[in-house]
Amino acid sequence: MDSVIKAQNLTLSYKDNEPIIKDTSFDIKPRDFVFITGKSGSGKSTLIKSLYGSLAPKEGSLSVCGMRLEGISSSKLNFLRRHLGVVFQDYRLIKEWTVEKNVMLPLLIGGFSKSVCISQAHKLLKHVKLLHKADRYPPELSGGEQQRVAMARALAHNPVVILADEPTGNLDDYSSEVIWDLLKGAREHLGTTVLVVTHKIPLTVSLDSKHFFIEGNRVHEVS
Amino acid sequence: MKSLKNHISVIIPIFVMLFSFQFSFMLEKVVKKYEDILSNDYSIVVVALSSLDTDKIKKDIKDIKSIEEISTKKILSKLEGDFSKANLALLKATLPKFYSVKLKSFPSSSQMQKLSQRLMNFKKITKVETFSKTHDKLYRLLSVSKTLSKVFAFSVFAVSLLLVLKQMEVWTLEHQERMSVMGLFGAPFWMKSAVLYRLVFIDSMACAFLVATVYYYLLHSSEIVDFIQSIGLVIPEFNYLRDLLILMGISFAISFFSVTIVILRHKRE
Repeated sequence: MDSVIKAQNLTLSYKDNEPIIKDTSFDIKPRDFVFITGKSGSGKSTLIKSLYGSLAPKEGSLSVCGMRLEGISSSKLNFLRRHLGVVFQDYRLIKEWTVEKNVMLPLLIGGFSKSVCISQAHKLLKHVKLLHKADRYPPELSGGEQQRVAMARALAHNPVVILADEPTGNLDDYSSEVIWDLLKGAREHLGTTVLVVTHKIPLTVSLDSKHFFIEGNRVHEVS
Repeated sequence: MKSLKNHISVIIPIFVMLFSFQFSFMLEKVVKKYEDILSNDYSIVVVALSSLDTDKIKKDIKDIKSIEEISTKKILSKLEGDFSKANLALLKATLPKFYSVKLKSFPSSSQMQKLSQRLMNFKKITKVETFSKTHDKLYRLLSVSKTLSKVFAFSVFAVSLLLVLKQMEVWTLEHQERMSVMGLFGAPFWMKSAVLYRLVFIDSMACAFLVATVYYYLLHSSEIVDFIQSIGLVIPEFNYLRDLLILMGISFAISFFSVTIVILRHKRE
């Protein structure tokens, strides 16, 4: 696969409103680590939303993992999403489920046996240093801990692409550092392509990464 | 507490809906039984100049269950003291033949009229007495009670369905976050909605059990049985298992339909 993500003359807008991203093209290769920055309201989150199929392209084309997202069917979109890992600023953990079950979610959807799901969840929780809280519920954890659980969940099924929308936006320096290490590790050890929307690019990751800057409804690659 | 309240909000309308359905079915059965009794008790009297070919009439008019000649012996024996033997013999020879006609089912007024006309088409028949005045009153009463029970069941169904849909909307909103997160990782429709289907499955089953049990006790309560029998009605057979399965079927169909309708409205995140 030449490109993991490919956009050509892409225009994104909510219903019939003014376009947020207009006539933009970019290309993301396997194992790329891409930072997406821009002012508030510039369309960073909208772009991420379109990449996991929650917002269909208004014009142009967009493909993720070789699948075209224009007019994609529900079943194909579900199939694509099983190869993506998503992380959000507000964690989006299922509050009624234990930490362990939250991490198991992508594996349960993938149809893995319960023993495989548990063993993989424990491995990842150990990796994010939260195995001792496997039986707890998300509201019982701190923000940093919840985001580590969300990261473990995003990595559980070895996704091809991780899409992270301001994953460190609500976190302290220590927790942010842990999240960046996990994202870096996913690229280095699993070969995962990582796209991160952020306001602040950490120096430890910035070397050897791509940087997209959104301005004037267009995505510009910063060299 | 909130969860219990949520369950009760679904259980009550489904219970009321099933109760009214079951009431309507039971009333239908009671009326049917009553119609059968009436059709057995009810007979048309036919007057003919001479003996009729009853087999031919039964063959021509399929609604007729039986035609039997009414014996005149009893009446004539009462007159033995007042008339001479010769006069009695003459009376017996000139007396028309009377027949009692029983029908297979309880007829409507128009059916009765048609039947009367068809009987009158037979040359030997001179008069058909249908006792239509009494018959009409009874038939109308039965028709009204059947229609009322159907209208009642339909009204209850409409209101209860709205309440169930409203509660499903509440449940869907409560579970929307979870469903949306599952959707982000590619969960199929059935997996995202499984929790809602599980909830309505439990509530529907509970309602069916409740309604079946309430009817079982009502139809086995001596006070109710005595009352029904005192007004000349027959209690229809209540098969707990069969009626429970029917109630469950209705309950599942209504609640699963409601959940599906509401979820489909929130389908794509």
